[in-house]
Amino acid sequence: MKRFLETGNFAITEGAILAGCRLFAGYPITPATEIAEAMSANLPKVGGYYVQAEDECAAMHLAVGAAAGGMKTMTATSGPGFILYADPYGWAIGCEIPIVVLNSQRVGPVSGITGAPGQGEFYNARYPTQGGNYETIVLAPNSAQEAMQLTVEAFYLSERFRTPVTILADQLITDGLEDISVPETDAEKAAMGMRFKERRVHPGPDFYPATDEIDVPPAVLGRGTGAMCSDWTPTEEGYDIETVEAQHKHSFRMIYKIRNHRDVITRYEALFLDDNPDIIAVSFGTASRTVKTAVKKARQKGLKIGMIRPISLWPFPDELFKQKAIYLSVELDYDGQMVREVQRAAPSDSEIHFLGKCGELPTVAELHELFDKLLKGEPLTSDGWDKEVW
Amino acid sequence: MDKLSNKYLRARKIPSTACSGCGLGQCHKALVKALDELEYAVNDIVWGTSIGCAGRQTFATWNGDNFAGTHGRVYAIARGLRLAIPPEMKIVLTVGDGDAFGIGFNHLLHSARTNAQMTVLVCDNLGYQSTGGQFGWTTPPGIVTDSSPYGMSEPNWVQRDMDVLNILKEAGATFLARHVSMDGAALVDTLKKAVQNNGFSLVHTVFPCTTNFAKNALGSRNAVNIFNWVKNHAAPLGQEKEDTIWRTGVYHDASNSRPEFSQSMREKVAEIQRRYQDEGSN
Repeated sequence: MKRFLETGNFAITEGAILAGCRLFAGYPITPATEIAEAMSANLPKVGGYYVQAEDECAAMHLAVGAAAGGMKTMTATSGPGFILYADPYGWAIGCEIPIVVLNSQRVGPVSGITGAPGQGEFYNARYPTQGGNYETIVLAPNSAQEAMQLTVEAFYLSERFRTPVTILADQLITDGLEDISVPETDAEKAAMGMRFKERRVHPGPDFYPATDEIDVPPAVLGRGTGAMCSDWTPTEEGYDIETVEAQHKHSFRMIYKIRNHRDVITRYEALFLDDNPDIIAVSFGTASRTVKTAVKKARQKGLKIGMIRPISLWPFPDELFKQKAIYLSVELDYDGQMVREVQRAAPSDSEIHFLGKCGELPTVAELHELFDKLLKGEPLTSDGWDKEVW
Repeated sequence: MDKLSNKYLRARKIPSTACSGCGLGQCHKALVKALDELEYAVNDIVWGTSIGCAGRQTFATWNGDNFAGTHGRVYAIARGLRLAIPPEMKIVLTVGDGDAFGIGFNHLLHSARTNAQMTVLVCDNLGYQSTGGQFGWTTPPGIVTDSSPYGMSEPNWVQRDMDVLNILKEAGATFLARHVSMDGAALVDTLKKAVQNNGFSLVHTVFPCTTNFAKNALGSRNAVNIFNWVKNHAAPLGQEKEDTIWRTGVYHDASNSRPEFSQSMREKVAEIQRRYQDEGSN
């Protein structure tokens, strides 16, 4: 095991290389630039390529192009670049090309605040491209160490599901300096729960079978299989076709290969849920770290408060929200995003509340004040700002 | 085209679904013929296509590996693919004028800059014809289209003093040529040179759209009229007439004069890897 005091950006790079990533295409953007820098330094040492593209749209197309040629590839950006990924992200979903995408969220919309954490792309990560008719896989780390491990997992899932996987991080995860342990032996990797899957090559001729099965090898160009990858609705062989029947088959696969295998994807951290807690705080990413501290301290004070931290954000883990409780979704956005999913997933007689912060984390004191108000049935307002509006 | 078709193309896609009389088939055939004369096998080539008439009608025609990219991005996809596939395999792209010179122009320039091996055959039907016939970046002055109902008034990129091929030359392209689709053997010869360049090659080829362009510009869908119109406005370089729009021939041939993108990338990475391993062993 190698230990470092390093940034999340560094940890993500280590994870990618462990997972077999051999091409990274990027475009400089705060706060994900250091991933590109670390990739440019470290990938060539293992025979991999760092390519700096003319914009984010080209960066992801380059990475998807290399992935379509059989390489394990990755790209990383922040919100303003993630939106330029919409085009290639759709191509990769439709052609079922495995690739890993990292979005280190800052504060938006548009350029917003570059050097502060946000979580405003919760839904954007679910719908990274147009057209609908697909499910996406999104993983959200809350530390540098977990960012490394989820990078490995993202590569694993992308191969099994033949689809892009997004790691939804934020500025504090990628920029923050933390203690990082990088495994060296297979035993160390296994002890960290790391899973790996090699790229395989679909032999054809039916590259796009109408099935919800996973572990179907992807179409790979340049291997003499007659592979076809296109932006159009494909026949099972990959020819472009404009029929509703073909679109239905293709959409069924895009949607149900993920929906019907959620057990392979779902990850979460749950705390103090066994005694029917009065309040369940829900949070992911950096925000979840202060929420966790607040919940633990509230327990020490004797309050019945639990916590759910979804790690796999999409498909949203509805099954975690079966208990009737007062749910408090704590997010780094003001408009209230995850709270809508919590409301949808929770029993209809639950109370659903929202705390939105942006560019800064909620404090433990602030959270305790909210817990008290919720337990007393008081409205959640402070400083004239109605945090319940979502 | 039977012999070539049987050897290189997928039966399902031949004949194509292009409009009756469309000149795209001439471009398509010229490229297949060039590859045949260079004795490439089906699996020596990865064939990429774009959006629009040129891309849609040529996608999945090649009896080997095919990809159809998003609009204008196929040059970026090809650069990534170039690093993943064996160096001896060739990437050819059949794309439209809107794709190459409009939405994809930035990516095209960077592909020229890096000299990534791809033979880009720009099949130019003088505007956006598959969407009904809007003007594009090569539509000649005065031409009526669905989006220039009073005549094309903007400058275009085949004008003498602002030729898109000059921009591409300055951007680093190592092979550049222009033709009209009825150039036949001359077009095939040019495409052979283009494919033999281990770098970025672009062959701009104007072909007649018998449907939307012809209807708007000439007031008739008669294929003979539009074929004659294109042919009469083309002349070989050095033999221009007053009404020549397209000067045909090889504009720039610096084939194999500088390192190809993936080749230099592979060499650089191998060198770094060696250096790192040496340092590691010391």
